[in-house]
Amino acid sequence: MGYRVGVDIGGSFTDFAVFDEATQRLESLKVFSRPDEPGAEVLQGIRLIGERYGIAPEEISYFTHGTTVGVNTVIQRKGLRLALFTTEHFRDVLELARLKIPNMYSLLSKRPQPLITRDRVFGIAERLAADGSVEQPIDPTSVEAALEGARASGAEGIVIAFLHAYRNPAHELAAKAVVEKLAPELPVFCSSQTWPIIREYERTITTVIGGYVQPRVAHYLTSLQAALRQVGIAADPRLTKSNGGVMTAEQGKSDCVQMILSGTASGVIGASYIAQACGIPRCMSLDIGGTSADMALILDGQPQYGVGERIGDFHIFIPSVAVSSIGEGGGSIAWVDPLGVLKVGPESAGSRPGPACYGRGGTRATITDAFVACGLIGFSALGYASVTVDRDRARAAVGELGEKLGRSVEQTAEAIIRIAVSGMYADVSALVSRFGIDPREFACLAFGGAGPMLGCFLARSLGMREVVVPPTPGVLSALGGLIADIKNDFIATLYLDLDAAAAETVRDSFAGLEARAVAWLRHDQGYDGAYGLTYSAELRYRGQSFEVDTPLDAATVTAADAAGIAEAFHRAHERVYGHADRGARLQLIAIRLVISGATAKPALPRQLREPGPAREAGRATVWIDGASRSAALFHRPDLRAGQSFRGPAIVTQDDCTTILPPGFCAEVDEFTNLRIVPEAAG
Amino acid sequence: MSPESTGLDNTTLQVLANYCAAAAESMGWTLMRTAHSTFVKETEDFSCQVLTPEGLTVASPKTFGATWYTGLDYGGVIPGFDYRDGDICITSDPYAGFVATHTPDTHIWKPVFRDGALVCFVGSHIHNTDVGGAVPATLSRSLTEIHQEGLRIPPMRLLRDGVMNQDLLNLISRNVRLPEQNWGDLNAQIACVNVGERKVHEIIDRFGRESFCTGLTALLDYAERQSRALIASLPDGEWFFADYADEDQEGGYPVRVAVTLRIHGDTLTVDFTGSDPQLVSSLNMPTGGMERHSLAMVGVVYALYSLDPTVMLNYGLVRPARAILPPGTVMNAVEPAAVGMRSLMSNLAQTAVIGAFCRALPDRMPASPGSGVSLMNVKTTTRAGRTVMASIGPVGGGAGGGPFADGSEGSGANMSYLKNTPIEISEAEIPVRIRRYGLVADSGGAGRWRGGSALEMEFQLFAPQSMVTARNRDRSIFSAWGLCGGQAGRVSRFIRNPDTDAAVELGSTDVVSCDPGDIILIQGPGAGGYGDPVERPVEAVAADVRCGFVSADRARTDYGVALDAALAVDAAATARLRAELSRRRAPGEFGHGAGRLAFEAVWTPARYDALTRILIEVPTTWRFFVKHRVFAALAGHVASTGGGAADVVAAYETLAAGFADLPPVPPGLASRLAAAAE
Repeated sequence: MGYRVGVDIGGSFTDFAVFDEATQRLESLKVFSRPDEPGAEVLQGIRLIGERYGIAPEEISYFTHGTTVGVNTVIQRKGLRLALFTTEHFRDVLELARLKIPNMYSLLSKRPQPLITRDRVFGIAERLAADGSVEQPIDPTSVEAALEGARASGAEGIVIAFLHAYRNPAHELAAKAVVEKLAPELPVFCSSQTWPIIREYERTITTVIGGYVQPRVAHYLTSLQAALRQVGIAADPRLTKSNGGVMTAEQGKSDCVQMILSGTASGVIGASYIAQACGIPRCMSLDIGGTSADMALILDGQPQYGVGERIGDFHIFIPSVAVSSIGEGGGSIAWVDPLGVLKVGPESAGSRPGPACYGRGGTRATITDAFVACGLIGFSALGYASVTVDRDRARAAVGELGEKLGRSVEQTAEAIIRIAVSGMYADVSALVSRFGIDPREFACLAFGGAGPMLGCFLARSLGMREVVVPPTPGVLSALGGLIADIKNDFIATLYLDLDAAAAETVRDSFAGLEARAVAWLRHDQGYDGAYGLTYSAELRYRGQSFEVDTPLDAATVTAADAAGIAEAFHRAHERVYGHADRGARLQLIAIRLVISGATAKPALPRQLREPGPAREAGRATVWIDGASRSAALFHRPDLRAGQSFRGPAIVTQDDCTTILPPGFCAEVDEFTNLRIVPEAAG
Repeated sequence: MSPESTGLDNTTLQVLANYCAAAAESMGWTLMRTAHSTFVKETEDFSCQVLTPEGLTVASPKTFGATWYTGLDYGGVIPGFDYRDGDICITSDPYAGFVATHTPDTHIWKPVFRDGALVCFVGSHIHNTDVGGAVPATLSRSLTEIHQEGLRIPPMRLLRDGVMNQDLLNLISRNVRLPEQNWGDLNAQIACVNVGERKVHEIIDRFGRESFCTGLTALLDYAERQSRALIASLPDGEWFFADYADEDQEGGYPVRVAVTLRIHGDTLTVDFTGSDPQLVSSLNMPTGGMERHSLAMVGVVYALYSLDPTVMLNYGLVRPARAILPPGTVMNAVEPAAVGMRSLMSNLAQTAVIGAFCRALPDRMPASPGSGVSLMNVKTTTRAGRTVMASIGPVGGGAGGGPFADGSEGSGANMSYLKNTPIEISEAEIPVRIRRYGLVADSGGAGRWRGGSALEMEFQLFAPQSMVTARNRDRSIFSAWGLCGGQAGRVSRFIRNPDTDAAVELGSTDVVSCDPGDIILIQGPGAGGYGDPVERPVEAVAADVRCGFVSADRARTDYGVALDAALAVDAAATARLRAELSRRRAPGEFGHGAGRLAFEAVWTPARYDALTRILIEVPTTWRFFVKHRVFAALAGHVASTGGGAADVVAAYETLAAGFADLPPVPPGLASRLAAAAE
């Protein structure tokens, strides 16, 4: 028995979740992030854990970590200088992407600059056919020539992505062998080894991004490992992955592509755990920070998975927890256009200079300033006393817009909030239609610094049934890493017409994947507990250009049951698209296997419910819903399970402020979540 | 709970705009999610919109779907029905109300009622893969009458009081090749407008009926005010521009779209007088002469939005604009002209309008996009003898160089919405070997800002009776033009068995039969460059050479940049070359390619003007015939310095002498020519 620690390093704060395996107790902690000296915040946190909870570093038996270092490397374009080897005459795979241009109404819009410019892309004489057979053997001299060119262009690493390598890795491996022999100092990344999916652009960009972030991620992890050893933590750190699982840090150094969305995925895993514990079957997590607003669907306590998640200017095509951006967060700037119409975003003040009310140089009104100007936030310092709110600056910034509009500060501030909320409403509405769900059946789980501030407003616009604010909204990501299972995805691209023979191929291929998966879990991860396997196949109707990921049960797979596979697909297609064509011929493009070894899960701390009114910490005059009103103030740590109160109300705590507009009432549940519902429904 | 029902003003207009955008996006995603057609899922050839009670588009999706329907006006089909709750109407008739623009486009619209009052309409359209007619997938350039282009559904009810018009469905399924797919798409459209209706009710719950209704008008007015403010900031004046497509029918003559842009105060006119007569092929546009027909306004929308991307994209944006579309021309074909491939003409009209805007605002507009994208389809046979078809992707060119940046590579500008098909998918689907796919060196027009490179694809087929179609083939003669000293992009090419003795140049052919082993190479048109190439920074030229966008030879001849064997800049030689080029060059307003210069040596603006003035007096059915005869008569006759208009008149007079139905030369034209001769 020991302590398990989860850490999430964000832009401003680093959160810790600490789980005592003996007592099942869960604690949390927050320190400033140290972008200037990464790793220092972790050590500081470990020290504080020792001081506060009396836990010595050597008692920490399990350490997980989620980080944004991967995604930031892509956003800031500070990754490795790579060269790309492609099949000869197909050099423009990155230049062209999938052809579509971002802003299709502008004659001047362009695709983002590729991560590898064309002078560092080299064609290799080789060719495979679609069935993986060799059409033209690889010419090693063309690899040598390409390598020479790559070195001359200053390349620090090589990505190899050949046509149809998802079917046969031989040519990529042959090219890799040449590079490793002649240039052992250069890291090499093969598309067939990174994620062997069909579709050359998607496979190539995924491999490129993995290679691009590798040195920074590896360097970061090595420093972290050293720091942890230095303070006496024996456990090798584990890293949260984009797929919502964890892997060893050691593996993270080479398998970087798996951890790019580490940070966002952890938050959703944490939110899922709370949704499950609280018995919320249909949930949308709403994570709003200073510069981003993300939404994820959680059904029956499970996050949803997808491919094609956004990384800066690009998308990555490995299975990831599906998260959608719904705006730019609390720092979005409000402005008045030349015709006198009020607008919000897309420009953001970010964390520097930040909102005007932070007094750090920002002078333009942001969404956060609008809340301050309405008197809705600013009752205590934000973010563990790191930021004091200057109400006068917020009012001045908002007032400047108000003058142009001929409106009072409060009216202008409220208008800014409405526009911001309607913008998020529009984005969520699109997602709702994309997924074919009804938001009225969903609860909104709000976290992040600005999630609880905006949650009720957004839920109201969407008609959602409930808003849930966890006790420490900032710590969800750290918690998510702590409880994540050891998990990996495996794929084999088969591209078959679905018939009896194909079903046998499916069975045999799954057996091959399973052997690899178990080896990964047992050997690479050193995990010897029980594990689960999840089978799925990517199928489509002949002629369709996209696949539906279809869950399969083990019996269907082992029985090589073609009809069973087909029926599973028809049902999945029906669920996603509302129709199925049981007479149509099917194609099976790929099979996927997920292995997961369960980790111990903490019990969320509970309190006995003692129904009664919550104790007001004070009252404040605020502007909300078109009028000046008196709102009750509550201090979050004082709220006990079973207590309730009604809006307009404001709940303050160290890392965020929760706002209840009139017409909402809240009750504290046994996990000390705030459960906020519209009064008509409550 | 209706926190927004405080009336509409400048602080709440954006809130309503966001809600309407949400309705439109929700409609679009519903349609994408549930549609069956590949056109919907792959080329996103559909639209959906929230409409005023008069049928004007207030909101439509902005990040997906077709880009041509920003100002779509259902006004031509909305009257004539007594709408009740639960009704849905439908049309696919390009000549009834001028909403549908070719027969595969099925448009539906649904009234939304609140408290018994009609508050708005919601609409959608899908390009169905097949609606019957002479050829599979309905469309072919060679068709000559609308009656060959499959089923035409005049404006009628699809649902009445929520009950489906079963007779109509039966009629549709007996007239199309893939009825289940059409039925699936129709269901998707119905789901789409139903979502739209529900979303509108949500908005009314929030704003109240009155505010919603006035709000729709306010959103159009807002876009109109933005548009007027933008237009008012542009210089007043009149600018003429014409662009050409290679062929007006299989193996035919070029076809011209001419436009005069007039900007006056806060209004503008695009006058298409002088455009070619309607064609005996399916390249015609059915606009009905409507002043703001969405097809006639595409170029205007692109130009205005590119000048100011903060403008709202709804009907209000085109309110200050007006198109003049003479009947019986390609811009306003008269029934029963075939219109199936109106997309090629629409693309041409777009570059013509962009060109006119370039003349007015050369420092704010980009050079010509490659445009002329060919949509490549292959029909062949598997080893097992099964016939298979696949779309292997669009092959076109990049965006024109802009006043501040190079054009995007391989696609862009007015073709930005297209997605490609992965090579690996094409090869896995059908027996085709793609031998080459990428950008063509030296294809983007040289300039201070380089035009986007062309895309190329080379592939081989292995079965007899294989068929390649290249829908919208164009720009093998007339290249994308450069601007402000920038040069034209390279023309497109289409060749069977390139680099062999059996090589065949296919020009602008759009259907090619292939034998086993045949290799097809298609190269799109490069886009035009912007600004004098000599002013492009030497380092940018060197980088282009290192990247392979520009060859070392062309760096020297076009840009005056000399590189050594290691691609390092030879500064002294570069200075010499650039001085030389600067001395020699006399850059005009536009940089036209050799094809256009040669054509215009014969067909001068004066001659073309004389021809179109004659043709407008000729009965519609005679025009195409007369055009071809006059073209034949003048073939190779380079015009004299005066423009040679008299030769056209003479050729026509000779022709008219043989046909009693042909009128004499219009007296105005004759006297003007006489005056000019003196």
